[in-house]
Amino acid sequence: MLKYLARRSIYMLVILFLSTIGIFYALRYASGDPSSSALNPLATEEQRDVFRDRIGLNDPIYEQYFRYMGTLLQGDLGESVVNGRQVSDQLRQNGKNSLILGLSALALSYLIAVPLGVLAAVRRNTWVDQSALGGAAAGMGVPNFWLALLLVWLFSLTLGWLPSAGCCSWQQLILPTLVLAAEGTAIIMRMVRSSVLEQMNQDFVRVLRAKGVPERKIIGRHVLRNALIPVISLSGLRFGQIIGYTLIVEVIFRWPGVGFLLVDATLRRDFPVVQFFSIMLIFFVVLANWLAELGYGIADPRIRRA
Amino acid sequence: MSTDAATLSDPSDPETGSVLSIKDLEVSLLFRDGSVQVVRDLTISVSEGETVALVGESGCGKTMTALSIMQLLPDPPARITRGSISLDGRELTTLKPKQMRKVRGDQISMVFQEPLTSFDPVFSIGSQLIEAIREHRSGVSKKDAREMSIDILREVQIPEAEKRIDAYPHELSGGMRQRVMIAMGLILNPRVLIADEPTTALDVTTQSQILELIKREQEQRQLGVLLITHNLAVVSQVADRVAVMYAGEIVEQGPADLIFSDPQHPYTQGLLRAIPDMNSARTFLLDIPGRVPDPRATPPACHFAPRCPHGIERCWQEAPKLERVDERHQLRCWNPQPLDEHVVPPDEWREDREA
Amino acid sequence: MAIATREREDWEQRAAKLDARQLSPTKEALRRLWENKLTFFGAIVVLLYIITAIIGPSLAPHDYADQTLSDARIPPPDSTYPLGTDALGRDVLSRLLKAIQVSVIVGFGTTAIALVIGTLVGLVAGYHRGRVDTLLNGLTEMVWGFPLILIAVIIIGVLGPGLKGVIIAIAFINWAAFARVVRGETLALREREFVVGARALGKSDLHIMFRHILPNTMPAVLVMASFYVAFAIIAEAGLSFIGLGAQEPLPSLGQMVADGRDLLLTNHWLSTIPGLTIVLLILALNAVGDGLRDILDPRLRIER
Repeated sequence: MLKYLARRSIYMLVILFLSTIGIFYALRYASGDPSSSALNPLATEEQRDVFRDRIGLNDPIYEQYFRYMGTLLQGDLGESVVNGRQVSDQLRQNGKNSLILGLSALALSYLIAVPLGVLAAVRRNTWVDQSALGGAAAGMGVPNFWLALLLVWLFSLTLGWLPSAGCCSWQQLILPTLVLAAEGTAIIMRMVRSSVLEQMNQDFVRVLRAKGVPERKIIGRHVLRNALIPVISLSGLRFGQIIGYTLIVEVIFRWPGVGFLLVDATLRRDFPVVQFFSIMLIFFVVLANWLAELGYGIADPRIRRA
Repeated sequence: MSTDAATLSDPSDPETGSVLSIKDLEVSLLFRDGSVQVVRDLTISVSEGETVALVGESGCGKTMTALSIMQLLPDPPARITRGSISLDGRELTTLKPKQMRKVRGDQISMVFQEPLTSFDPVFSIGSQLIEAIREHRSGVSKKDAREMSIDILREVQIPEAEKRIDAYPHELSGGMRQRVMIAMGLILNPRVLIADEPTTALDVTTQSQILELIKREQEQRQLGVLLITHNLAVVSQVADRVAVMYAGEIVEQGPADLIFSDPQHPYTQGLLRAIPDMNSARTFLLDIPGRVPDPRATPPACHFAPRCPHGIERCWQEAPKLERVDERHQLRCWNPQPLDEHVVPPDEWREDREA
Repeated sequence: MAIATREREDWEQRAAKLDARQLSPTKEALRRLWENKLTFFGAIVVLLYIITAIIGPSLAPHDYADQTLSDARIPPPDSTYPLGTDALGRDVLSRLLKAIQVSVIVGFGTTAIALVIGTLVGLVAGYHRGRVDTLLNGLTEMVWGFPLILIAVIIIGVLGPGLKGVIIAIAFINWAAFARVVRGETLALREREFVVGARALGKSDLHIMFRHILPNTMPAVLVMASFYVAFAIIAEAGLSFIGLGAQEPLPSLGQMVADGRDLLLTNHWLSTIPGLTIVLLILALNAVGDGLRDILDPRLRIER
């Protein structure tokens, strides 16, 4: 278990390090020379150099990187070059919104997908199974922005039941959550289904029947526990994907979250904002994966007690 | 399900104390465009304290037979289409699923071939033993069930049973796992234990130990054991009676020593002759030429006819029935010949020598 | 002792017929393709899209960037503008044809790049194992499963909005999926007899990798490619929808849908037409992928 954990932790740290350095360096390069905007256009090259020196831009890149990370960890997240607002303020306001949206979508997708997957597996090849698989195919095939438009057209424009954009009432939460959860639900359902089917073909199921254990206990107690282990591992991935799709969904529904902020900042070339939120989101993706792997290691006794 | 009048009288009649009695069993695979019989005309019984070995190559139907006793046939497509199976006189084939479930694990137990994959990997062996107990004896408390489990683990010679009971299946060796499987099968003191290739996945020394264990338990509990195997060495070690199966039918049945010393059916003879023997003067290996027939196209009369060294025309025209040759010996053959010690070596061997 | 009787001959014939019913693998595959009509039609649809992508824009009635403000928002069908015009008076059909070209090129192009890189990495890692594998596999594992959109946004943050960033991002993430699968297949295949035999004959590693192992990984790779092209197309459309992908005047299916969003109630065709165009292509690609999977190996499982 320890060895397993150590390996996953190393991955996590390496990814974090590489990606944050990569982002930092790339954005430093992309954001160009601030001296042109800060100083008088007639300033000489020497004056620019002095300016750059003072800001610390002539220091080696890794020094700049560590300095940046240092200030980050102290809580100074930088400020937007577009509107001058503190990034930390924006984080506080929008972070909460994203969290609500993301967690709702994650919860919804699991709540639907797991029971549906088990049902489809147990009632294999019946209409239940076929329709679940068909629904999954649709959920995976339809692009999320298209689904969003369809839902908006149906529920907002035609039926008028739900608002089409904005924050933060529960009515406004519904449509974005549905769209965000759609793809994940399909994938999780298929995985649960195939995992359950795989377990049902295992030898120990036959032995359980030979012991006289009733079918419902076999499925509920034994098959399910084994089948859900890989699903745990999947959830880290799913969370990461949701973080990704949040970017699009928040923009479509004008949900003021971190994703919306990041996309907006990208379009406006607001580098400090892009930098911070990119790093932050990557951190969460990596963390989610690491936690999922940890969960997997705990759930499977073959790893836990290796 | 009809029971045809048998053309033989069973050496172990229900009236004379057989625990498990199977008559004229037929198991078929049902498909949309037809059915295939994988077990046919099978009659066999097991008495208290007796080990009956069901022997045959893979695909001959022996596992199907075992599964049908337990009513565990994969349905679809397999189903019992004829015959009766009774335990202590009680007919099993007509039981409702719920009733049969109560019988399984309690009055008839089954032990399988692969000890690792036969356990749920996420539960300790103790909890799986306790599960077996509490499923059938609802009044037993968890503590008592745990005690019972530790006791039986000791009985099957698992060292440090009180500690091992909380171990997970992957933490035990193959031999120990098989012992635990047997313990799980015996914990409720069943009338019959069915063992399907219990030692095939184990090394030879462990094999011997497991067989000894089964024999010992059998004597202590007066258990009836149906041992299914393709390994004649295993049979010789523990079996009281042997039934040889070929392509879904029993072709010869009788006491173990008799079958080994005086096999009558050409298939049995072929099997025995195929065992390499260091002491014999023979220096080549003998196998049985040909292949087991595809169940969709079984030979019209005697199933063994295409491979039989002394087949006659009748073997292709009329199906031989299982008939008594002796008081306890049955045979399905039109033209049995005594075992021929002067064997003609196969052509390749002779060509090598002559070269 | 062979007995020749009528009954025996009958039986031998029946047994022989059973053996003969096994078809050759290619015939078997084609038979399954024919039975799977959905896949068949899917393949045809995909082919049509590819053809459209190649010759479509040159057959367009108008220039896709041409704005005729006086002809804005004409609904289809129309004699001059078969599919109508958008808010800036541009011909929807011409834009659609160009947008299909964009989607097809991005989808297939990025997948091709990802496929090549991923297959090479997977092949080398799986074949050589040891330290090379640890390194390459570690790299693969780190990249695999990362949210594409996030990476795309970051890359676009650096490079600026436009297709260049989108293409790099998609290829940058997707290669890992191919590498993973190919590595798995290679690890299994390298232990097979024909590989061991080739090594015993003294064939070089390169020869074994490319001549023996690579062709056997192709079925799995092709199935994946199908799904990943769809994935790439959706990703590009999504990014273009929020403005980070194809930039004006270059049309993208996603961008066209976004443009029509505000006019959903009055001029819905501006969104529905490009939207349905995308959905149809995606469904067709998925059908082809599913079918390929059934044909080539029913036991194959794809995880994204």
